Amino acid sequence: MNMIRSFFESQRKHFQSEGALARLEPFYEAVERVFFGTGEVTRQAPHARDSLTVQRYMMLVIVMLLPCLFFGMYNVGLQSFKAAGQPLDFWPILLFGAKTVIPLVIISYLFGFGWEIVFATVRRHAISEGVFVTAMLFPLTLPPTTPWWQAALGISFGVILGKEVFGGTGRNFLNPALTGRAFLYFAYPIQMSGDAVWTAVYNSGNQAVDAVSAATPLAVATTAPATQSVEHALNTAGYDFSTLFLGLYPDSIGASSTLLCLIGAVVLIFIGVASYRIIIGDMLGVLAIGYALNLFAGEASAPYWSMNPFYHLLIGGSAFGIAYMSTDPVSAPDTHAARWIYGFFIGALTVLIRVFNPAFPEGIMLAILFMNVFAPLLDHMVIRLRIRRRIPNT
Amino acid sequence: MQKLTVKKGYRFRMAGGPSSELVQLPAPAQVALLPERIAHIKPRLRVKKGDPVRIGSLLFEDKRNPSFKFLSPGGGTIRDIVFGPRRVIQSIVIDRQTEAEPEEAFPALKESALADVDRSQLTDQILNGGMWWVFRELPFRDLPAPDTVPPLIMVSLDAKEPFQAAPEVYLKEQEQLLAYGLKALNVLAPGKVVVFADDAEKELVLKTDRYLTHTVAGNYPSDDPGAVLYQLKTEAAQNRAWYVSGQDLLLLAHLLREGRYPTRRVVAVGGSAAPERRHYLTRLGAPLAQLVDLDRIDGSERFVVGGLFRGYASGREGFLGLYETALNVVPEGGQEEFLALFNPGMARHSYSRTFLSKFNPKRLVYNCNIHGDLRACIACMHCADVCPVDLLPQMIYKAVLAEEVEEYLEHGLLDCVECGLCSYVCPSKIELSRTFMTAKKEYAKERAGKSE
Repeated sequence: MNMIRSFFESQRKHFQSEGALARLEPFYEAVERVFFGTGEVTRQAPHARDSLTVQRYMMLVIVMLLPCLFFGMYNVGLQSFKAAGQPLDFWPILLFGAKTVIPLVIISYLFGFGWEIVFATVRRHAISEGVFVTAMLFPLTLPPTTPWWQAALGISFGVILGKEVFGGTGRNFLNPALTGRAFLYFAYPIQMSGDAVWTAVYNSGNQAVDAVSAATPLAVATTAPATQSVEHALNTAGYDFSTLFLGLYPDSIGASSTLLCLIGAVVLIFIGVASYRIIIGDMLGVLAIGYALNLFAGEASAPYWSMNPFYHLLIGGSAFGIAYMSTDPVSAPDTHAARWIYGFFIGALTVLIRVFNPAFPEGIMLAILFMNVFAPLLDHMVIRLRIRRRIPNT
Repeated sequence: MQKLTVKKGYRFRMAGGPSSELVQLPAPAQVALLPERIAHIKPRLRVKKGDPVRIGSLLFEDKRNPSFKFLSPGGGTIRDIVFGPRRVIQSIVIDRQTEAEPEEAFPALKESALADVDRSQLTDQILNGGMWWVFRELPFRDLPAPDTVPPLIMVSLDAKEPFQAAPEVYLKEQEQLLAYGLKALNVLAPGKVVVFADDAEKELVLKTDRYLTHTVAGNYPSDDPGAVLYQLKTEAAQNRAWYVSGQDLLLLAHLLREGRYPTRRVVAVGGSAAPERRHYLTRLGAPLAQLVDLDRIDGSERFVVGGLFRGYASGREGFLGLYETALNVVPEGGQEEFLALFNPGMARHSYSRTFLSKFNPKRLVYNCNIHGDLRACIACMHCADVCPVDLLPQMIYKAVLAEEVEEYLEHGLLDCVECGLCSYVCPSKIELSRTFMTAKKEYAKERAGKSE
C-alpha cells in the first residue's frame, strides 16, 4: 500500500498546475481513485457526507456485468465448437471464447476511456466513471464476429455523439452504449444482422469456413411457419425453454442469458442502484402487450402473435436491455412516476417492434432509445402534476 | 392532539449521542455574542472595546430595524470585538465580573396578568427585552416584523438532528416556564400556536400533552417547523408562519416572568470524538473550551457548534452562537483510504444500500470526509427520496444554476427546510442544500429591496 501511495505521490506533481501533464489531471484523478478514496473534508454543513460515490455506484454495475461477460465468453466458444463439430470441453471452449471476446472488450475500453480523457482534458471536467459502464455494456451487445474496427467506431460514436457533445455524463439524453450499438446496426447491417454473424468461426485448420449460419431464436420466432406455434418452432430449432433461459444459443456476446440478467436485476434492485420501477415497468410492458397480442391473434395472424408473452423475455436481448440498459438513470426520466411509464413503454414497444417490423428482429434497442428521447417529456408531465399539488410558496 | 407524519427524512445510526445526564457548570470567565451567526441581520454596534456592560445592556442593534436589539449575555467589560473579512462582526467577547455581576432590570409580568396584556404592549416588552430574536419567520428564517400577526407560531420541542439538546433534559423542572411561554405566544397569535413533539418520545409526549397540539412521527428533520408546516398547511398564507425553538421559548418566558435577561442554556455535547458526552447547564454564549476537556482530545477533531447537518465549524477558542444548543466533536477524517472503492463497508455509513453496514446493527462513526469527488448528477434520486418536503432537489439545483427564478419557486424552493440531507446523500457530492440556502437568501434580499 505504501508503495502504491508513494508512486501516486511521486507522479502527482506532473499533473498539478505546474507539471508537464497538468491538462491530464482528470486522468490522474480517475486512476488514483481506483486505489485511494479522497482525503478531502467538508468545508460547510452538512459536515458529514455519505460514503457512496459515483465510482462505487458504477463499479457495482460493472461487477454485476462480469458474470454476463464470462458467460458470454463461454457461450461464444460453445456455439463455435458446436458449429464446427469440435469436442465440447470446457477449457478449450472458454479459451476460444475469451480470444474472441476479450479483444472487443479491450478495444471498447481503450476507445471509450480514450475519448473520455480527450474530452475531459479539452473541456476541463472530471472523468466520469459512467464511461466504464458504457465500455463494458457495449461489447456485450455486439455479435461475436464484429470486426475490431467496427467495435472501435461504434464505441467512439456512442461516447462522442451519444454523450460528450451534450456535455458528458449527466447531460446525455441517450444511452451511450446503445447509441453506439444502433449506429453500427444501421451503418453496417451486413456485419450486424442476419443469420451469419452470431457465431464466431472456429477454423480447425483443414476446412476453411467464412461464416457459420445459425438462426437466432428471434429469427426463428419471426419466421415460424403459420402451421405451428413459435414455441414449437423454437423447440425444433433446438431452443427449448431451459436453453433460452440459460442463454446457450447464438446471440450477441453477453446479452443472451435471461438467468444472469435476472440475477443482475435482482441484485441491482436490492442494492438500490437500478430502479425497480423501470425494471418492473419494462416487464409489465412486455407481458401486457405480449398478452394483448395473444388476445387479438386470429387464424390469419402470424404465429408470433400467439407466442407466450414470457418468451419475449427469454429470447434475444430484452432481458439484458431491461436489466442494464433501460436502468441507466441519466437517460431515463428522473421522477419515479415517469419511470413506471417509461419502463412500460419500453416493454410495450419492444414487443411491437419485434412482432410488427420484420426488418428489426430485436426491438429493445430501438425501444429504449426511443423512450430515452421521450424521458424529458414524461418528466415534464409528472413535474407539472406535482407542482399542481403543491401549495405555492413564493 | 393531532398526529402528523413526515414520511421522508432519514434516521441516522450515529455513534456519539449524549447521555441525558445534566451537569451544571460554573459560570465561565468569558461569554460572547456572535453577530455573524445570526442570519440576515445587519448589526450596528452600540459598544466599543473596554466598555462596561451589564447583563441585558445593549450590544448592537439591527440596522434594518433598530428595534431588534441584541443584549449582553454577561456583566463586566467588553474584552474584544472581533472582525472578520469585510468587517463582518464575528464576536463580541465579554469579560465577566465574577462577583455581583451587574444586571439590567426589565418589567416583569405575572402569569395572571398575561391574560389582560395587549399584543402591542407584549411585543414592546419583548423587543425592549432584547428577545425578539427567538422568533423567526418561515421560509427565510429571518426575524419577523413585530406588527404583523403571524398565521401560526410553531414551537418545536424536539431536536432530532444528531446531536441536539434533548427536550427531556432542558424541560426538566421548567414546565411552568413552558406553560407561561405558551400563554405569552397565545397573546401574539391567539389560537394560532402549534406545539409539537416527536411521537416516538412517549414520556415527553405524556408529560407535556396538555400543551401539545400535534405529535409528529418521522425521522430527521421531522423536528423542523418547516417540515411540520409542510404537512400542516392548507393555504399559501400559512407559509409565513413564525417559529420558536423549545429552549428559546423558555428564555423568552424567563425574561417576561422574572424581568431579568435570561442567560441559562442547556447544551448537549456529543459526537464520537467528544471525551464526555452529556448535557451541560451553562450560560448563553459560553466558550466551547468550557464544554470539552481540551487535554483529552488529540487535535484531529472538528468542533461543530449545532448539529452535524446545520451547525458551523468553530475553532477551539470559539463560543456558542445565540441559537445553538449543542456542540458536536467529530473526527475530522481526511485520510485517503486505500481501496475505498472496493471496501465492503461494514462500518461505512450510507443512505444507499451499497454497503454491508446495512446489516450492521451498531451505531457508526461519522467523520467529515467528503468520500468522493464532485461529479455530474446521475439522477440517482436519493436526494428526492430523503427530502422531507417532497422537493426534487436535482431539478431545483439545475433551475437555480440556470437562474430560472419562476421555475425554482414553482418547484417549491422556499419550502426547503435546509436540513442538509440532500447534500449528505448525494453520491456526486453536489452542494445542494448550500446552493438552495444561498438562492433563498438572494431571493429574500431581492424581495426586501422591492418592498422598500
